Amino acid sequence: MTAPAIEPSDINLNNPEHFQREEFHELLRILRHRDPVHWNPPGEVSNGFWSITKYEDILFISRRPEIFISSKGIAGPGIKPERLAELDFAAQQQNAGGNASIITMDPPRHVKMRRLVNKGFTPRAVNAMEPEIRRVTNEILDRIAHKGECDFVLEVASQLPLAVICGMMGVEQKDWPLMFELTNKVLGSGDPEYQTDIPEEERGTGQAARLTAMKGLQTMLEYFRGVLEDRRQNPRENDLPTILLEAEVDGEKLTEGDILQFCFLLIVAGNETTRNAISGGLQVLCQHPDQKRALIEDYSLMDTAIEEILRWTSPLHHMARTATEDVELRGKQIRAGDRVLMWYPSANRDEDIFPDPYRFDIRRTPNDHLAFGIGEHFCLGAGFARKELKVMFEELFRRFPDIEVVGPPERLRSTFINGIKHMPVQFTPER
Amino acid sequence: MKVRVKAEMCEGHGKCEKAAPEIFKLGDDDISIVLIEGDLPKELEEKAERAYRLCPRQAIELIP
Ligand code: HEM
Ligand code: SF4
Repeated sequence: MTAPAIEPSDINLNNPEHFQREEFHELLRILRHRDPVHWNPPGEVSNGFWSITKYEDILFISRRPEIFISSKGIAGPGIKPERLAELDFAAQQQNAGGNASIITMDPPRHVKMRRLVNKGFTPRAVNAMEPEIRRVTNEILDRIAHKGECDFVLEVASQLPLAVICGMMGVEQKDWPLMFELTNKVLGSGDPEYQTDIPEEERGTGQAARLTAMKGLQTMLEYFRGVLEDRRQNPRENDLPTILLEAEVDGEKLTEGDILQFCFLLIVAGNETTRNAISGGLQVLCQHPDQKRALIEDYSLMDTAIEEILRWTSPLHHMARTATEDVELRGKQIRAGDRVLMWYPSANRDEDIFPDPYRFDIRRTPNDHLAFGIGEHFCLGAGFARKELKVMFEELFRRFPDIEVVGPPERLRSTFINGIKHMPVQFTPER
Repeated sequence: MKVRVKAEMCEGHGKCEKAAPEIFKLGDDDISIVLIEGDLPKELEEKAERAYRLCPRQAIELIP
């Protein structure tokens, strides 16, 4: 007997289990082939939404930031308006995505705010940081070198992005573990492992997730309030909080709220995504030993390998937009006010764009994946993410060429982040 | 067809220069410069369209 075929109408992507268990690739494939603009019905408290699964359609939406706006929320379906009041501040935060960081800002203000900081993220700036990134990478690897085994996520993959973004934000090293913990709470809020402020028997619910995200957000804002206080007295060079304090948009200084949201965004956006690309990258390379060997023997393959790792892992499952006018897409009527979710792992396996998309190929060219999004909100940190991945794999394989994943990775319970929480590895220790 | 780069959007990713070096060049300030004033020769239009498609920041404008 074969399992009954899954119909598009059976598919509800607002379910973190599908993502924790890695069933989502199959569900996305069914939608992409049979119902590429798919209406996902509402849940008990969450809105219904359109699931967009074709590469071309994600381009279409991303290129129209005035019509498909970000200011009503960029993650998940959002909460039904009539349920908002009873679900407190956390839910409202989730719906609005915070009040004023660039990721939830629309044109024309968006680009003005982004330009305050984007000089720090250009290819030139990234290249200038490379020696420092390599130094930090080796410091991280020094700490595991004698052990022969470790939790790759906690001890390696999470440490580099944390160090880089905390360095740019002027966060002192003693506070890095706190930033790690708070990022997990905000972006992994749906996973019981991070719901440490919630009584054990109440973990795993939607409300537990909202409260956990709120707690992480508030603690982080509080922390940066202290940082700003310090920088007003002691401005620093090349320090993002200082730059934001001194910046003006349309002749006006930013409000403290704006700056706090900006700091918060940079910390969380820079952290967890890159971590998962590093962990997922090692995982998929170990699943393809011939390609791993080829890469170790020839680092000139590194650039295309990194792009393929990004395509393959797609560290963010989706970004959301809200339509401001009626739009017809593939014969479906998207109405003003409707939420759309753009599923990046699906675009990145779209047969119309990528030949043989389910084959991992470190030599794949061209490879115009959408792991960093595209258009108005294209990932500000893409250059840093790429450089961190490259330096990490170069140094990791130079020092531990026989590193292997030795147990099943523990995956994050999230519809938003393609996360790995723990992944045991073994390697020959350095003497 | 004419080409324009919106300087306020461009962040120097250089995909345009890679796709169509005859048309784009990254300047010293990491902002892409259009090398061809006025209408593009017909044979470059396809390359311009490819650059438009690849630009991650949607900074390239094609004016028919
Ligand atoms: C592999 C790692 C990464 C991935 C896959 C990734 C992915 C993304 C995606 C898909 C977006 C688009 C959001 C949208 O369209 O609404 C985005 C935006 C953003 N990312 Fe990343 N990101 C990564 C690393 C980083 C790093 C290292 C930083 C900071 C140093 C960063 C900072 C940002 C910021 C600030 C935005 C908002 C940009 C805007 O709205 O204008 N990201 N990222
Ligand atoms: S690809 Fe776009 S953002 Fe990059 S340099 Fe060219 S115009 Fe600028």
